[in-house]
Amino acid sequence: MAFVFGFFPVIIFLGCLFLLDSFKLVKVGLLLVCLGWGLTSTGVAYVLNTGLANYFSLDFETLSRYVAPAVEEVIKAGMVFFLIARRQIGFMVDAAIYGFAIGTGFALAENTWYYWQLGADFNTILAVVRGFGTAIMHGGTMAICAIIVIEGVQRSSKLLISVTTGLLAAILIHALFNQFMVNPFIQTLLIIILLPLVFYFVFMISTNHLQKWLEVEFSNEVDMLRMIRKGYLKDSKAGNYLSSLKDHFEPEVLVDMYCYFSLYLELSIKAKRNLLLKESGIPVIIEPDVKDKLTEIKILRKMIGKAGEMALMPLVRMQHRELWKLNQLE
Amino acid sequence: MNVTVITKDEHTVVALRGRLDTTQADAVEKEVVEILDQKHSHIIFDCKEMDYISSSGLRIFLIAQKRMMATGGQLKLCSLQAGIQEIFDMSGFSMIFSIFPDLESALNG
Repeated sequence: MAFVFGFFPVIIFLGCLFLLDSFKLVKVGLLLVCLGWGLTSTGVAYVLNTGLANYFSLDFETLSRYVAPAVEEVIKAGMVFFLIARRQIGFMVDAAIYGFAIGTGFALAENTWYYWQLGADFNTILAVVRGFGTAIMHGGTMAICAIIVIEGVQRSSKLLISVTTGLLAAILIHALFNQFMVNPFIQTLLIIILLPLVFYFVFMISTNHLQKWLEVEFSNEVDMLRMIRKGYLKDSKAGNYLSSLKDHFEPEVLVDMYCYFSLYLELSIKAKRNLLLKESGIPVIIEPDVKDKLTEIKILRKMIGKAGEMALMPLVRMQHRELWKLNQLE
Repeated sequence: MNVTVITKDEHTVVALRGRLDTTQADAVEKEVVEILDQKHSHIIFDCKEMDYISSSGLRIFLIAQKRMMATGGQLKLCSLQAGIQEIFDMSGFSMIFSIFPDLESALNG
């Protein structure tokens, strides 16, 4: 029974979060990478914590209450920052799930270590506290960190501020948990009650946000692409704007900017279509020429340069979510 | 948005009239789900008088398609206005749905 309580709650919690992702934003492969990162982080954190304790002659209380939470959360967060930098996370929902998966991996490795070290002393009471409390806390802290960072990135806040805020929040929650200011059972109960509520609101807000984003952009992009294909773009505001750039760019760069804009619209519409298909549980369509078009848009982006990209900003803002969206087609 | 349901032979024809946008989507989805719950095996969405569709509207068609696929039924769309047909073509949704030029061909197809 101790084994079941020690290991299964966090896995079930992660499974539930995965199933609640209505737009299927999370890729199973990346989820496994996150779990693997969490598992590995435990070993790295153990070595670092032991090294710091020996070097600074830290007692167990100082180590567990203040130093270990910081060390462990920083190591765990490395994967969150990597995924955001690689535009693999787009919304709060996928941020929360990937973050929780990292914490799950960490907690599973940590509980395995306890299970192996304590043997028969890893009793049901300890298993309940570690399995329902500590393990879910590990997932929760990283999920909250990932949510804060992705929201900062989407709102174009300074990256350093978002990263610092996310990390500090994770460290603070972890450190507070490790103070054991209240009875461990009550603390565990609080985690089990509060965290699902946090996730419920995050999922609700994020899904709502995603639907609105799809709704507004999809129609505009379809209208714009239709005008381009029919040759009516020059009569529109976007066309007038593109024409106004004639005096500032070489003709060949202008052609590339026009192609970039048109190709972006085409790929963006297809990426959004695939999101709608995923939400409905219908297999997504990957056209055979999509790979070439993704390569083409990357080349065009280089050709038009930073100046061209900035000039196109009123029409295409190639920021985090736009790049994430195109990544969904790969 | 106006939704009318008629039965022609073994087909249930759902005629959509007006704009299928965000403000209308919830009400239309409710009506469509009620129709789907009646477990008809052949459903045709007649879009002759539907003059606008947004992603919320497309989502309703996808829900219907998924439900029909699961029950082994058949879903067809017909009489799409040129602008709406273009949306389906440009986004690739025309590969997902069986689309017919008019109701007659949808009934016979």
